[in-house]
Amino acid sequence: MRALCWEGVGKLAVRDVPEPAIRAEGDIIVRVRASSVCGSDLHLINGYLPAMREGDILGHEFTGEVVETGSGVRRHQVGDRVVVGSVVACGGCWYCRTEQYSLCDNSNPQPVFTEKLWGHSPAGILGYSHAAGGYAGSHAEYIRVPFGDVGAFPVPDGVPDDSVVFASDAMPTGWMAADFCGLTGGEVVAVWGAGGVGQMAARSAQLLGAERVIMIDRFPDRLATAAERVGVETINYAETDVLEALREMTAGRGPDACIEAVGMESHDVGPTYAYDRVKQSARLQTDRPTSVRQAIMACRKGGTVSIVGVYAGLVDKFPLGAAMNKALVLRMGQMHAQRYIPMLLDRIASGEIDPGYLATHPLPLEEGARGYELFEKKQDGCLRSVLHP
Amino acid sequence: MTNNGTRWALLGVTTVTAVGVGRAVARRRHRRQPERQDGWYVVRRGVTVDRPRDAVIGFWTDRERLDRAVAGWATLEQVDDRSWRCVARDPAGGGTEWRAEITVDGPGTLRWRVEDGPVPQEGRIELVDAPQGRGTEIRAELRYRSGPLRRVFGLVKGDDPDLGLRDTLRRVKSLIECGQVIDTRRDPSGRSPGQEKATDKVREKLMTGGRA
Repeated sequence: MRALCWEGVGKLAVRDVPEPAIRAEGDIIVRVRASSVCGSDLHLINGYLPAMREGDILGHEFTGEVVETGSGVRRHQVGDRVVVGSVVACGGCWYCRTEQYSLCDNSNPQPVFTEKLWGHSPAGILGYSHAAGGYAGSHAEYIRVPFGDVGAFPVPDGVPDDSVVFASDAMPTGWMAADFCGLTGGEVVAVWGAGGVGQMAARSAQLLGAERVIMIDRFPDRLATAAERVGVETINYAETDVLEALREMTAGRGPDACIEAVGMESHDVGPTYAYDRVKQSARLQTDRPTSVRQAIMACRKGGTVSIVGVYAGLVDKFPLGAAMNKALVLRMGQMHAQRYIPMLLDRIASGEIDPGYLATHPLPLEEGARGYELFEKKQDGCLRSVLHP
Repeated sequence: MTNNGTRWALLGVTTVTAVGVGRAVARRRHRRQPERQDGWYVVRRGVTVDRPRDAVIGFWTDRERLDRAVAGWATLEQVDDRSWRCVARDPAGGGTEWRAEITVDGPGTLRWRVEDGPVPQEGRIELVDAPQGRGTEIRAELRYRSGPLRRVFGLVKGDDPDLGLRDTLRRVKSLIECGQVIDTRRDPSGRSPGQEKATDKVREKLMTGGRA
């Protein structure tokens, strides 16, 4: 089969690779119909998470059709359309039982790397390097999905692939970000990053009761899309002092909750950003925490900062004093896909959320490398490239 | 004169640094060494399984499930009511094999002894209720004999009984909780056979000694 493989830092190529096979009774094999690029892939492609091996198949946000099931699979049959959560969860450990699927004890077969880095190993993630288990990814014609009964969900009739594909990762991540904020109705929420996850977080915050959502980015087209599609207010940080603007927009209070949907390669303007870039390039810090710093500084006293942008290791100049003295609640994590996907599929089917507009660039798999380039450089108004093997 | 003074000062600083670093390294090494007792190395490891104690015991007494669980890497033969013989092979297919005598001491306690494995060893497993209804703590104590030279060579070769114990506990936990031990070694990739071999070595390193 054909698959998009990582060939070294910044290098991608489509290769012929063997087809996956059922390996355990809970496995299913899915023929991939749509597989989206994701901002977190960029950290892998650009070598910020040093656990990629040449030839690894990328991709973790996808939908497709079941073509084979293991003998223990009960909930799926050949021919079913499914969307699959990117986080692999066994369904049987304490974390899965308490719906904290991204912390699954048993789904990362290669836990040593993350144990050394983080103290414990969280769940495995499909197509997400050897730190997350070394699973083959979804930018391929077929993919093996372990624990198919736990991780795959039937797609409601009539929902197109390029819409439902985001129920795999961007939507549950955005929903969890808003869920972390503990909204009770009427809050002002600020969201850093107007990409797919940020826009889904903004929509989720509205559905959970936020009265106003303010979105921060530097790309006018992304901000315009968010304003039009989600109905948010916007701040362009390249033109405006974000902290000042947020304070004024909330009459001095600051946002009740701040969602960070950017991650370790965040951008900014000014000398601090230059400092961060130099430190990260010299590998003196693994992550650039620009937007997390801003979120902490901007958040109202006693508010919540919710981090769903991906961070890998160590950061510098973290404003712990601000977080401590303002009594902030910090919540963060990889999303618990399996907890949110069924509810999100209902909301897509009922039209409450329509993520289809994120798929600005549907492309054949063969153009995968170009898809990532368009996405990374934000060319041609690209929000997400979605590959069709 | 100044020159000589500088030399002495430098020598002093170097000596103090060397002694300091040496002591720190020795202390760190010492902290990481297994405990010694009557000529045995003793390692204690534990894992928490999210099942009540009866279910954990039940797992080991349900012959069919157990055989299915260990299929491919071990065979079990019941000698009498309380003892078993186990022949295990290296799951990675390294061709090594060892035999263990397993004795059940009581509910939730068992012992094993390996006579003809690469390293003489014996161990004890105790099942304890975990707090807050978190299931069962499987606590294992492993004792093995090894000379200092043999231990160093063993460590270099990757046969550290402690790593083996941690792997086994992880495996057991996974089998009880989700009925399988997940493996991604033969997942598709765009690697050449040579690259795949190198990657398998990396995978092995990332798998060995991990704890859930």
